[in-house]
Amino acid sequence: MADTNIGHGGRDAVDVHPPTMAERFALVRQWFGNAWYELRKSKTALVGFLMLAVLAVFLILTPWITKWDPIKQDYRARLAPPSAEHVLGTDRLGRDIYSRLLWGGRRLVTISLLAVAFGLIIGIPYGVLSGYFGGWTDTIGMRVVDGLLAFPGLLLYLLIVTLAREWKLEGVYNDLILIFALGFAFFPEVARLSRGSVLSEKKREYVEASLVMGERDSYIALRQILPNIVSPLIVNATVRLGFVILIIAALSFLGLGSPPPTPDWGADLASARDYMERAPMIAVWPGLAICYTVLAFNLFGDGLRDILDPRLAER
Amino acid sequence: MLAYLIRRILYLIPVLLVLTVVVFTFVQLLPGDIIDTMIGEEDVEDPEVRAALEKEFGLDQPVYVQYVKWLGRAVQGEFGKSLITRRPVTYELMEGIPATVYLAVVGIGLSMLIAIPLGTLAAVRRNTPTDYAAQVSSLAGISIPEFWFAIMCVLVFSLYLGWLPSSGYISPFVDFKQSLIFLILPAIAVGFRQAAFTTRLTRSSMLDEMNKEYVDTGRSLGFSENKVIYKYTLRNAMIPTITISGLQLANLLGGTVVLESIFAWPGIGRAIFEAIIQRDYPLIQAGVLVLGIIVVIINLCVDMTYRYLNPRVELN
Repeated sequence: MADTNIGHGGRDAVDVHPPTMAERFALVRQWFGNAWYELRKSKTALVGFLMLAVLAVFLILTPWITKWDPIKQDYRARLAPPSAEHVLGTDRLGRDIYSRLLWGGRRLVTISLLAVAFGLIIGIPYGVLSGYFGGWTDTIGMRVVDGLLAFPGLLLYLLIVTLAREWKLEGVYNDLILIFALGFAFFPEVARLSRGSVLSEKKREYVEASLVMGERDSYIALRQILPNIVSPLIVNATVRLGFVILIIAALSFLGLGSPPPTPDWGADLASARDYMERAPMIAVWPGLAICYTVLAFNLFGDGLRDILDPRLAER
Repeated sequence: MLAYLIRRILYLIPVLLVLTVVVFTFVQLLPGDIIDTMIGEEDVEDPEVRAALEKEFGLDQPVYVQYVKWLGRAVQGEFGKSLITRRPVTYELMEGIPATVYLAVVGIGLSMLIAIPLGTLAAVRRNTPTDYAAQVSSLAGISIPEFWFAIMCVLVFSLYLGWLPSSGYISPFVDFKQSLIFLILPAIAVGFRQAAFTTRLTRSSMLDEMNKEYVDTGRSLGFSENKVIYKYTLRNAMIPTITISGLQLANLLGGTVVLESIFAWPGIGRAIFEAIIQRDYPLIQAGVLVLGIIVVIINLCVDMTYRYLNPRVELN
């Protein structure tokens, strides 16, 4: 609020100057120090965080730590076992599995992050405003959310992805549609969660105080209430990331993901099925990669919940 | 209770409207129209034929009129004919429902058999190695993609050990014993993920209940620990567990698409998936709508059961 400095003689009384580099650095260090301290409170979160860090390092460094082009075929080296040349062996077309895993992971994780971000961007304002204003806005808004939540399992994604296929969207557009579909399916959950938190937050004194001060509704809803309901949303989004990865993998396993030869964990797993008797390991690697990634997000999300919501952690 | 039920049913109307609008819009958004799909194969472009067909299917009318007409037919269960088999769509769907329900119910049952004892044990022996093992394994269970788990099961039990068939379906009404043999792998694949969810849920609701005063009262009255835990606490802790399992059942009806296609299980999920691959739009439309309605109804039943079991919940 505007008048916080009344009691101590205005701003001039305090030595105000733009922070120097050293001070900024100290602030950043303090922030990371706090985050690290909080993180260590939960073993689960710490393990999840470390797993995610390893994943991030691998995916960021992919172009430098892979020797082979993920789509380059080599018919002389089909279904080769692991060797010094091909760390995890090759697939049915002689493509390097290790390289395909990393490039596929880069794409998968990027799409999931964008999809979850998209869901949050629509869902949060929708839920916050719906909860804040209440009345008819809320009733209609929440019925729409209920309707979207009535789509069981994969079906909403299947519908949207089918549309994309019928319109022959390819490459980037295909990925954008996937992001849209996954984000759109996430938004009802976000909307409901943020609406619920707003409803309980709305009764707090600080909201009343701001109303008395004559602040605008949108200011109160988005600038004051929103920051107070962020923690459950962060936890939800982290766990959702794991779920989104599973969905993308399932869709591409069904053949509705990106067209070949794009490296893709789900699609690679599906094509490995036909060669399972000769080379079972090619069906194992993409699956393990999915498990690792999803587990990392789930552990991190679970741990974050314990840290951010100590009431639950006591259990 | 009755007033609440009526209000809940009234609330369903807008939900179902959203559902139908989305499903209807889906077909509208497809490139080309149904006529293209129908005459596409013969590659004849006769404006008169087109106009006649458009008239026959009502495509010459504005979209909202089409929607209202379509809704009117849908309410009567009239979804048209499959573009592929030319049989009524309703018939195709009804054929798939028993297989899916069979799989989902057995899968959920299996998961509860594992999860409820495991979750209870984890809660009773909280912060012991047993608890940690249960927590880690359930978290891992949630993180394993079910289709991968299914493939690994096939790899081990069908290809290596040769104990079980890798796919297929026999109706339990035809040959019950044989049908069980085909059911084992799919049911395990459905069940293990559910078991992971249910274990976590049972554990946390048991912990919730164990912190309540009646538990201490029971102990102070000299009841044995077993009686306190298994007779009183577990019973109360089961309320949320059963509720959520019911909801999971609803979700499974649409969520077994992947497993059904791996195990060649002739359920409703696979029917819809094949319809998507074959561009059989009437079937897609009806399938999604029917599943959506089933989900909404199951949710309602679960909610009512919950309130019946737990009258303290505000009827609001």
